[in-house]
This record gives sequence, C-alpha cells and structure tokens, in this order.
Amino acid sequence: MFRNFKDKLNISRKALVANKARSILTILGIVIGVFTVIVVLSIGEGFRFFVLKQIEFFGNDIIQVETKVPNTSKTSSSNATTQALGATIITLKSEDAEAVVRQVANTDMYYPGIMGQELASYRSEIKKVLLFGTNANAAKMTKGGIEEGDFLSKEDEIGNRRVVVLGSEVRDDLFGIQPALGELIKIKGQSYKVIGVMKKQGNAGFFNPDKEIYVPVTTMQKQIMGIDYVTIIVFHLKDVSLAQETAKDIALVMRQQHQITNPDKDDFAVNTMEEAQTIIDSVIGGITLLLGAVAALSLIVGGVGIMNIMLVSVRERTREIGLRKAVGATKKDILYQFVIEAVVLTLAGGIIGIFLGALLSLIGSFFIGRALGGSWPLTISVSSVLLGFFVSAVTGLVFGIYPAKKAAGLTPIEALRS
Amino acid sequence: MDLIRLEQITKNYGNPGSDITTHVLKGVTFSIQEGEFLSIMGPSGSGKSTLMHIIGLLDRPTSGKYFLRGEDTSQLSDDQLARLRNKEIGFIFQSFNLLPRISVLENVVLPLSYVGLSQAKEEELALKVIRAVGMEHRINNMPNQLSGGEQQRVAIARAFVNNPSIIFADEPTGNLDSKSGQQVMSILQELNHQGHTVVLVTHESATAEHGTRMIKIHDGKILSDEPIINRLLADREGELGK
Repeated sequence: MFRNFKDKLNISRKALVANKARSILTILGIVIGVFTVIVVLSIGEGFRFFVLKQIEFFGNDIIQVETKVPNTSKTSSSNATTQALGATIITLKSEDAEAVVRQVANTDMYYPGIMGQELASYRSEIKKVLLFGTNANAAKMTKGGIEEGDFLSKEDEIGNRRVVVLGSEVRDDLFGIQPALGELIKIKGQSYKVIGVMKKQGNAGFFNPDKEIYVPVTTMQKQIMGIDYVTIIVFHLKDVSLAQETAKDIALVMRQQHQITNPDKDDFAVNTMEEAQTIIDSVIGGITLLLGAVAALSLIVGGVGIMNIMLVSVRERTREIGLRKAVGATKKDILYQFVIEAVVLTLAGGIIGIFLGALLSLIGSFFIGRALGGSWPLTISVSSVLLGFFVSAVTGLVFGIYPAKKAAGLTPIEALRS
Repeated sequence: MDLIRLEQITKNYGNPGSDITTHVLKGVTFSIQEGEFLSIMGPSGSGKSTLMHIIGLLDRPTSGKYFLRGEDTSQLSDDQLARLRNKEIGFIFQSFNLLPRISVLENVVLPLSYVGLSQAKEEELALKVIRAVGMEHRINNMPNQLSGGEQQRVAIARAFVNNPSIIFADEPTGNLDSKSGQQVMSILQELNHQGHTVVLVTHESATAEHGTRMIKIHDGKILSDEPIINRLLADREGELGK
C-alpha cells in the first residue's frame, strides 16, 4: 500500500504544482537567504584577498618610513587630512635612508619613493601616467620582475639619467605591439629612453604597478618635480623577527637626522608590516563582522518569510490533510508528502539562490575590479553555500513539517472540520 | 455476519481540565447488513453526524464496541484505520470537500494514490466512475468551475472509485437545489442497487425516505429503527454506468 517512493513524489509534485503561488513564495524566501549569504561572504572574501595581495607584493621583510604631520598619530585622520589638504612634509630625504642603512645593523638596503602624475607621449600617443621615482633596489625588494631590458641602475640614479622602466600596461598603451626597448618617450618636453619593461604583475590591491613608469629618484626630483625630498622610504630587513626593535632603531636614527628630541614632534612614521597586518586584520575583521550581520539579518528575514508561508499553508491545508486521511492516507503518507514538498522547495530555492548569488558575485567582482583598476577575485566559498542552504532548509523543514506533523496527528474529522 | 455492529457507543466532548463535558452519543446499539440503504435521521445537534463519523472510522467512540465484519475496530491503530477507510469506505460530504486546486480527474484519483497502482490504472478506474456519474466532459476542469450538483457528483465518483463496501453520505443534498439533489439521490440508489451498502445522514425525512431502513436519532439516543415501506425512488437523469 503506497509503498512506492515514486507515488509519494508524485503526490507532492501534484500538490506543489497545484499551489504554484505558495510554492514560488517559499522558494523566493530560500532564494533570498542563500543568495544574500553567498554575495555578502563573497564580497568579504574578495576584499580580504585584495588586501592580502597588496601585502604580498611588498613582502613582509620590510619596514616603511613615511612622512607624517607632527603631533598627530600616524593612523589618525588629522594626519591623513592635513596631508591631503596639501601640507607637504619635505623633510624626508634619501640621505636619511643612507644614514639608517649605515647605522642600523638589521637593514641592508632601501628604496625611496616619490610619486607624481605626468603626461607621457610616444609619437602621437599621449597618456596620463603615474611616475614612481625610486632606485635600483625597488625591483629586488618587491615581487616585480623585468620582462625585457634592465631595471634602473645605481649609475642611472647617480647620473640623473633620463631613463625609464615601463609597467606592462603603460608599454601596451604607448607602444601597442611595437617594440619599446631603446625608444624615446617624452615627459614634460624631455626625451627619456626606455631601458626596460616590467613583467605583468596584476593589481596589487589599491595600486597597480603595471600602470607605473619607474624613473631614477634623482631624475624625478631634479628634472621632473624640482624637489629634493621623497615621501616614502622602504627598508629591507635581514631578520624579520627583529622588526619591532629595528623599527625603534630606525626611529632613533631618523630623529638624529631631523634633530628631533620630542617623539611627539616626529615628522615621519615607521611602519612594520606586522603593524600593517594588524591594522588590516582588524579592518577586515570589522567588515566581515558587519557583512556577517547583514547576512544573518537577511537569513532571518528569509526564514521568517518561509516560516510564514509554511504556517499559513499548513493551516490552510488542514482540510486537505483531513480529506486525504479520510480517503486512506496514513500519518506517514501525510508526513512524507510534506517532507518531500519542503525538500523540493528548499532544493529548488537553494539552487536558484546559489546560481543568482554566484552570478551577482561574478558581475560584482568584475565591476569592483574595474573600478579599482585591477582584479577583484571571485570567491564563492563552499561554507557560505552550505550555510545559506542549511539555514533555509532547516527553517523550511521545521516550520513546514512541525505543523504538518501536528495536523497529521489529528483525527480526520478534526482536520476536516477546521 | 453483520457488516457493522455497534454496541453501546458513546461519544463525549470536553476540554481536558474542564468539568464541562458534552455527551453527544449516549449508548447507541444497532447493526448494519450488507446491501442496506440506511438513513440516519435527526434534527441538528442530535448526534447523527458524530455517529456517522464513528461508523465511518473518521473518529473513535469514547466507549462501546464497534465491529466491522466481526473485527473489533478499537484494537486497530490509526494507520490500520486509514487503510480500512481506503479499502472499505467512501465518503460524501455536504460541502463536497474536493481539493480546490486540482482537476476533477485528480480529485477522483486521490483515494487510489494511496493504493499503489500505476498511473494508467488509476486513471482508468477514475474515468470509469467519472463516466458513471456523467462527468466525463469535465475531467480537466477545476472544482470551482463546476456547479454544486456537478461537484457533488465528482465527490460521489471519488467515494466509490475504490469500490468500497460502504458509502457514507453526510447531508449530500444539503447544499444542492432540488434537481441536483434528485440526481445525487438517484446515483446513491443506483450504487446501492449495485451492491454497495449506503449510510445516509440527513435531517430531511424526504431525503431519508430514499433508503430501505430509517434510524431516527434524538439527543444522542435512538428513537426508532424501522424499515421504510414506501421507499422514494429518485428521478434518473444521470444513468449510472455498469
């Protein structure tokens, strides 16, 4: 008697088709739940990946010295806004870096950095480019590698030579498929010789090395910008485990160089990557928490929706249950029908939710990536899919089956009278 | 052997924890023979519907014994009762109780879906009984596209699609105009003629007199139990298929 699973499936299928609107609404609730969890967690994961990639590019065996507005903390907003409003700290010099490498035993090399935007042209092609004035060590200390030619040399720096190394995208923009090596490009009316092209790096977080032109720091200062300072110096550490002590030593040398006695008056900030990591971790942690809360809320909303529909539907169907029992359905028959219905709805909703969530994450990652000028990885974690699915399924099952079980336990006549 | 034998059946309703108990049936004893058309008549509140629910195995008595083909039904589990209903009993309700969102054919198939037949066999049997009540032109319609009389005919088809021994009809003409009511009664008489035992519950003596025997019930007790001498025969508008 009604032992056959196909029969059961058939009864549920008929009931689902017969109640299209209700089925669709239930599916929608599950879709929303699964969809939101996937999208939200994908964004969180993407962001983490994005930031970690930036750290990876710079390596963790470095310490950065940056300019800082005196009497502010290096991570404060007043430091950031004061500099953004145009207050330029002009005291950081390459000589400071030389002094640090001489006096601090754990440092063995450095590269300075100064950035600027200029127009660069090759024949009729004119592009706005990002110039990065630095020295020979920059290529050794970052993950960047040379694709053709050479990177900047010590001699280029000493001799203020008008030579450039192009990021791969700049090369593509200016030269297309033409060879670039040995050609001359124009910056601020002067000719610069292309001595090398970097390998394609991919976006490293908030900046994209492929879009930069590397210029000897001295050339950048004297010939392009007319200044004698830099905005950042990056030191290489022999032993990363001594980063904290080394940072203190560097600060001491820097104060000596700048004749500062009160640390509050520091016009520079020393950052270890460990510190950067800590800050980034706490930011990512906060964002993940926030996104998690949003996901949880939407799951609750989706769950309440499912619960509502299930409760109403079972109540509305108590007569149906009564009638089915009157014509011979056993308690189990009724329960199976509702379990199969709930499972089918949950599966359908879950699959649609995963599909839509993945689709939006894909579209999102494309546009975010484009807006940030690089790649934003598409990450859809198995755990987010499972979480969304699990919560929706449990909600559907609990709120669908519990009332159905109660209704199935009524005598047929009680159910019919309702 | 009696098809059904009731001994001192009582039914009380009361909320647990409350002292107020309603005694709906107060010791009812009678038997039903195979092939009878029994009318149970009484005013509303007399307990006739409750009695029908108990005989129809939709509800259990508070006390007393109920034997179906000699078997004591109080010993049976809910699932065993469900299977017994599926095999032995068909119901016709005053309010039809068709499932609103499935077609006429699917409604009639419903009892068969708990038997485990092939879909083709299910539909074959269903079509046969649908034809018998003259509704074959409506098999793909939804119940709300039918008139009350048509809905009741579909409900009757559903009631005997399993070829049950007993068909219970609870005020089957209560919601119908007199012409549709006549059709329904005619079909019931035809089913009875074909050998199905019919138990009809009604408060109208005119309807009750279509049966072969009448039990009058009042205030939970049997007032009288007599054969019907001048039985009414309903107009045959819908010829019942054989």
